[in-house]
This record gives sequence, C-alpha cells and structure tokens, in this order.
Amino acid sequence: MKTLVIGLGNPILGDDGVGWKVAEEVKKQLPQDAPVDVDFLSLGGISLMEHLIGYERAILIDAFALDEPTGSILVLKLSDLPNYSAFHTTSTHDTSLQTAIELGKSMGAHLPADVEIVGIATGRIYDFSEELSAPVADAVPFAAHIVLDLLRQTIRS
Amino acid sequence: MTQRITIDPITRLEGHGKIEIFLDDAGNVANSYFQIPELRGFERFCVGRPIEEMPLITNRICGVCPEAHHMAASKAADMVYKVDPPRTGKMLRELLYSAFYCTDHTTHFYALGGPDFVMGPDAPVAERNILGVIHKVGLEIGGKVIQMRKYGHTVVEMLGGRKVHPCTSIPGGMTKGITEEQRKEIEEMGRWAIDFAHFSLKLFNDIVLGNKGYVDLILGDVYTHRTYYMGLVDENNKVNFYDGKVRVVDPNGKEFVKYAPKDYAEHIAEHVEPWTYLKFPYLKKVGWKGFVDGIDSGVYMATPLSRLNASDGMATPRAQEEYEKFYATLGGKPVHQRLAIHWARLIELLYAAERWVELATDSEITSADVHTRPTQTPTEGIGIVEAPRGTLTHHYWTDERGIVTKVNLIVGTTNNYAPIQMSTHKAATSLIKDGVVNEGLLNMVEMAFRAYDPCFGCATHSLPGQMPLEITIRDADGNPVKVLKQFC
Repeated sequence: MKTLVIGLGNPILGDDGVGWKVAEEVKKQLPQDAPVDVDFLSLGGISLMEHLIGYERAILIDAFALDEPTGSILVLKLSDLPNYSAFHTTSTHDTSLQTAIELGKSMGAHLPADVEIVGIATGRIYDFSEELSAPVADAVPFAAHIVLDLLRQTIRS
Repeated sequence: MTQRITIDPITRLEGHGKIEIFLDDAGNVANSYFQIPELRGFERFCVGRPIEEMPLITNRICGVCPEAHHMAASKAADMVYKVDPPRTGKMLRELLYSAFYCTDHTTHFYALGGPDFVMGPDAPVAERNILGVIHKVGLEIGGKVIQMRKYGHTVVEMLGGRKVHPCTSIPGGMTKGITEEQRKEIEEMGRWAIDFAHFSLKLFNDIVLGNKGYVDLILGDVYTHRTYYMGLVDENNKVNFYDGKVRVVDPNGKEFVKYAPKDYAEHIAEHVEPWTYLKFPYLKKVGWKGFVDGIDSGVYMATPLSRLNASDGMATPRAQEEYEKFYATLGGKPVHQRLAIHWARLIELLYAAERWVELATDSEITSADVHTRPTQTPTEGIGIVEAPRGTLTHHYWTDERGIVTKVNLIVGTTNNYAPIQMSTHKAATSLIKDGVVNEGLLNMVEMAFRAYDPCFGCATHSLPGQMPLEITIRDADGNPVKVLKQFC
C-alpha cells in the first residue's frame, strides 16, 4: 500500500513546527525498504491535496489548538473533523482539505480513501522561534511512536 | 452616543477574524472594529543571521506566498551587497514569479472570490466553494484549475529548485539557469496559461457581467471607497510585479508620487490604534485622518485593482485589451468599487501568463550568465515586489560581515488593513438600521474583506479555508445584543 506521511507546520514558528519534528523522527526510525514516503510541508487545502495524489494511505502530523493540555496527542480520521478546525488541513487562501479531496476525486485523481491525522495539542502560536516548548517537545517521541504503530500494518503488507 | 470600549489583549489575539460593532442609541452603527492576529518576534528571529539566509527564512513567513518573500528578500540582499544581477538572472526570477502569480490568482478566483459570484452572494455558505462552482458550471473548470496549478508548480520547481519554498534566488542573481529543453516545456505551459486566463475572463464576462444584479452589486455604494492607489510600474508606467518604481495615484487618478523602493520610508508611515497590534500604513505626505476616504486622507489601497489604477496600462497586448475594456465598462479611471478587484485579478492573470511566455521566448533566457558575484561590503538594502495581495517591502540592515542587525517588513495585506476596516464598517452600516440587523450581514461583510484576498495570520495557517468569523453587535451600553458566527 503506497503510503505518505506528512509533517505539517511552519518550522520557524515555535510549536507550530511540531509536525515536522515528529515526521523527522518517523523517517529516522522507518526501515529503509518500507514502502512509505515522508514529506515536510507548510500547506493546506488544494495544495496539500495535490501532494496526496497517487497514494493509497496518508498520515498527517500537525499541531492543533485545543483545550486539551499542551502536548496531548490525538489520533483521528480526517472525516471525523469538522470541516474547519485543524490547523494545516485548511487554508485561508483556498479551501479546506476535505473539500479539496472531494474536488480532486471528482477530477478523477487517485487519492487516499481516508486520511489519518496525528495531532499534538498546542496553544495559539504567534511567536517566531525554531524551538518547541517543553511539553510539546516531550510529546514528539510518543507521537512518532504512534505514527510508526499506525504504519506497521502497511510496512508488513 | 458612542461607547468607550476596552479590549483585553488576549481577546485581541484571537486566531480569527473578529468584528465588534457598537450601536448608538438609535440602533445604528457607531463604530466597528475588525481585529486580526499578528505574528510577533520576526525581527528578533532574523537578527544575528547572515543576510544570505533571508531569502530562505522570509519565504517561511507565509505558506501562501513564499515566492513573493523570496523575491523581495533577494532583491533587498542585492542592494545590501550593491550588486546588480545579470539580465538573465533577473528574467529567471521574473519568470518564476509570473508562474507563481498564475497559480495564486487562479486559486483566489476559483476557490475564494469566484464562488461569491458564480453561486451568488445569497447562496448557502456550504455551497459557496469551488465544488459549488464545478457543480454549477461544469466539471471542465475543476480540471483546468488543477492543470493551471500543476503548470505553475512545475515552473516554480524547475526554476526555484523546490516546489513550495524556492531557494535559488540569492544575492546577485540565481544559482542556476535553464536548458533549451526546459525552456521549451516552460513556453508550452505558458501558452496553455494564456488560454486559461482567456477562459477565466470569458467566464467572468458571461456569469458576472452578464448578470445585472451582480453588476449593480459591484457598482453599488456599499463597497466603494475613494482612496489613493499604489502599485509597481515599469519605465512606461505599465504594471510590473517584479521590479520598477512604486507609483501612487490620488482618488482622481492623478499621479501623486512615484518613488524608488529605497525611498519608501519617506512616503509611508504607520498609524497605531489602541485596539489592535497591527499597524495601519498611510501616505506620510497626506497624513492620517482616520478611517476615511477622500483626497485629504492618507489611506491607500494596494491590490490588483490598485495596480491597474496606479498604472497607465498593461505591458502585454491581450492584457492591455482587457484593461481598456475594464475601464470602459466601469466608467473610466480610477475604479473605486472594491468588488472590481476580482475582475482586475483576472486581467493580471492574463498579464502574468503573457509575461511568462515573453520571458520564456527571450533569446537570452537560456544564457548561463545568471549570477553576479557580490564583492562590496554589505550595508543596507530594500527590496520591493508586488505580492498578489499588495506591495511587499523588505528592508534589511547588516554589519560589515553581512550579519543582519535590523529588519523591517511591510507585507501585502498590511497596506490594506485600513481599507478593509473601512469596507467592513461600511457593509455593517448599510445592513444595520434602527437596531434591525439584516441577516445577510455575515455574507456581505465576508465579501467585503474577501475581495482584498487578505493574509491575516501570514505564517500560522491556522485560519481555516472557510473564514471563521464572529460578529458581535453591542448596544449603546456595550451589552451584546446579537452574535453572528460562521465556522467558529
């Protein structure tokens, strides 16, 4: 099963870059021959959908502004999300990822049937920094472990 | 009676558009405040880094227009080193930028601005998106939009080294050129882009200009402000996205000033309001007179419509034809109706596509002379380009080693913060009468700011595709009487 893991976020915007850090960790720990691509993006909407074309399975790792304690980890499906709440699955300049995927499918593009999301709870982020806050940094190895667990089935097949 | 208001700083940092409307005793709008978030600490983040890093760092400010920051930063870095890139280096930059413009303007029209018109401003929000457009007009459109974006991405990747955050524009020019084979491919894609731009203008013509209701909406008073207009122009005063001088025309269309990028600080100042961290740029020599239009107010706009108003025309033939039709249809220059920004954007799409082909067919575009080696001691530099959503200024200071000591940026949307505030206020005023709030308020306010294609949170991406918006209406005593929400 052709699988894509994407770390989403802005690597120079503090905790917003946690998706990249987790994806880096996943990439390090993946067996070399695993049929999994790992990418790092700062995109949403149609642009993000375009990167998913050709894959059967996709896992997105992203920061979420939640009421949960900072550093909490959520695992969910894109279809579970209301059509607006994730950070990078949406973009002010085009449309939501859900709508973009529907658009791509209606154009005949081969897209994953559903998209899994591993979210890390952060506060609202407004300060530029290359560093993660301590609770978010602590969550990175756990989130990477979860992504690798999710991938295990794909890697075996 | 106008209420005095105090807004908690935390409230000011809400991650989405928030509008507070205060009514007077008669139930009409006394004041409104459109609050948007601001990212902090960028200057602190940049200070101490080598100037060469700026074109790579600044393009991470924003996931929407990294190409614009990449270009403005490398132009500013050219000036820091007092180095002039070779002609081919400049052309490759502009070629990359033209392809980016086609992608960006296409996305805005079909996914954001277009649905308001194609589906109609009264259509349910859930239908006012690109899927609604496809269902109404046909599957063919969706395929073309995706194709246009694919071609734009391909050119950016070929020239910029990466699909999303280009990295090849450096102080003195570009790191690499293109082969004849690549040139042919780029030309072919550009010719397709020209056809696509024509297709888009025809669609606008048929669906929007062919509908009296929409034309009346565009020409109506609700979205009209008589302000100054800003845009980059070439030596013939034609629109240029990559280079030239900044030209400003007054509300009567007369040239007010034309200045070189290095002189921007003589002409632009920033006004501070207590209710928002974001500053409001204005024309220094006219002065800040508040959120009002007219020749005595220094408020200016920088958008596709502004660029057309501030120029004497388009530098390519087919875009020039559309430019002439635009002003003939809307009653001459300048056009003050904000919803005409959507039409102006499509004319710019055609210009960008034509310029793409012009550059791809230039006899020197495949030259290997793409970079001039900097040899001077670095000092200070300013780079200005037209980002799709407004004039973008980067200003850097360095020490003699080229280490950044100070940074100032005026990003595209910031130019338009005052006009956006005025437009949302006017939309609110027209839809709230004697305490009665028209149910169309959310849509009309949303259309008001959407025309500007604003980039509120620049780098956060945290603003959803469907703009979350909360409008709180308060009575003369400051008590909330109605809260309208969308996607939040």
